[in-house]
Amino acid sequence: MRYMVFVKMAEDVGDAPPRLHEVMGRELGEAFASGSIIDAGGLYPTVQSVEIRLTAGEVTTTDGPFAEAKEVVGGYSILEARSEEEAVAGARRVIEIHREFWPGWEGSVEVRRIATPEEGPPPRT
Amino acid sequence: MTSDPATPSTPATPATPATAAAAVTAVWRMESVRLVAALTRMTRDVALAEDLAQDSLVAALEQWPTEGVPRSPGAWLTAVAKRRAVDHFRRAETLRRRTAELGQDLQEAHVPDLDAAVDSIEDDVLRLVFLTCHPALPPESRAALTLRLVGGLSTREIARAFMVKEATIGQRISRAKRTLVGQDVELPTGRERDERLGDVMTVVYLIFNEGYTATAGEGWMRPELCLEALRLARTLASLVPEEPEVHGLQALLELQASRTRARTGPDGEPVLLEAQDRGRWDRLLVQRGLAALDRALALGRPVGRYVLQAEIAACHARARRAEDTDWTRVAGLYDVLAAAAPGAVVELNRAVAHGRAFGPDAGLAVLDLLDAEALGGSHLLASVRGDLLARRGDADEAVAALREAAALTRNDDERALLLKKAAEISSGPVSKPAQAVRRLHDTEPPRRQP
Repeated sequence: MRYMVFVKMAEDVGDAPPRLHEVMGRELGEAFASGSIIDAGGLYPTVQSVEIRLTAGEVTTTDGPFAEAKEVVGGYSILEARSEEEAVAGARRVIEIHREFWPGWEGSVEVRRIATPEEGPPPRT
Repeated sequence: MTSDPATPSTPATPATPATAAAAVTAVWRMESVRLVAALTRMTRDVALAEDLAQDSLVAALEQWPTEGVPRSPGAWLTAVAKRRAVDHFRRAETLRRRTAELGQDLQEAHVPDLDAAVDSIEDDVLRLVFLTCHPALPPESRAALTLRLVGGLSTREIARAFMVKEATIGQRISRAKRTLVGQDVELPTGRERDERLGDVMTVVYLIFNEGYTATAGEGWMRPELCLEALRLARTLASLVPEEPEVHGLQALLELQASRTRARTGPDGEPVLLEAQDRGRWDRLLVQRGLAALDRALALGRPVGRYVLQAEIAACHARARRAEDTDWTRVAGLYDVLAAAAPGAVVELNRAVAHGRAFGPDAGLAVLDLLDAEALGGSHLLASVRGDLLARRGDADEAVAALREAAALTRNDDERALLLKKAAEISSGPVSKPAQAVRRLHDTEPPRRQP
């Protein structure tokens, strides 16, 4: 089963301490090596993002940043896990590493299962 | 326990005992290979190492559901297992002293330095893989023990994956662990290392193929087994990055696994490579496979069967449509593979590739040189011959060959496919050839029935 993990945080958190980069890099490397992470990436700030929205038949295009957003997605990873518990445990490591190596950081990871084509579109409820 | 290496955090949600146990087991399984590997180095005994690792799981199951998952679960589990290991050696030492007091030789205290060489996780895991694929073990035991100790699978999961009774797998594993008692646990060097690495790659490939073309049970694939093999191949590539063949194996498995979704039709029937909907291929795995192949080739060292097979798989992966396949290159690669790793199945595939690249006569010429005995009465020879004859326009001979193949195969889906193809040829012009060739270009080894 594949899971998409979004890492979300306030956008003005500043630069991460070098030690966090180092530890995250090592852990990510291990996860890539063991095959539990198959893709991952960081996202540019929302100042460089564009939103195209359809509301009541009207299409509007807005450039970021979006003031109303408290937390934004800053990165993602795609996990290949044998169970949901495994995906959750893997994602939790990210939070624990932030707790240890970036004092004061607040944010979240969201674990979402990716539907396979065989399953058809996932239920919307 | 008060001396935990990390402060536990509060449980995320008040979990039921069952879900809490599942969460603990999931964490333990992710850590278990490193745990067992480190404990094997310390104790030089795989069976004892696994027992100690299991002890740490029991402790976690007792404590985590109430106290929360520790911040660093791996460190917690390692600390518990080490304590158990020290207890074990102290008990053994006490016993030795008592024996000594009874008049035996008094030996130096032998409690191993459990904290030595903490930075050698990669070596630990590699040492463990070499042990679970040890030449002293029969091949089927190597696969089971590797899945158990390196993959972290339970005996029940392995039994289900191989469609074998749980007791059988259990016996296989315990016998294997007994066989390993007294074997040298050190990492082999030089030529022995190359040979042992070859053994390890064979085991991983065997596990993958067991999943990719299931020899028993319903359905012709067990994707979860393929995934385990893929994980093993990825791990191996990170442990031995200087060896092109290891990257080649990973590339081959990523590329073959990328086709999993496209290999069965709506009713579960097999769909052949050339008839597959390539839009259903897993692009992420294709990318990973091509990247692994690039890493293998970038080393600029001589390559062997896995890199060559991966290159062939890459030719298919790069072709957006079946008709875009660079068959000339595929045929050339099979020529090299036939020299590097000769075998009847490679020759069959070579015949198909030459038939596509240079016309059916070229393919039939390769088949003519093939010793039918070497295929052990497999239907594949007749199947490939039938396809090539159909392409040449020899309808009657093609139908006869395809019917012969249908009579030889033991797989119902395959028989239906061959007879359908024969019926199509006898009832009209050859419209879509190649349907009868199954499992070819997938570069799979000949399979033994279990």
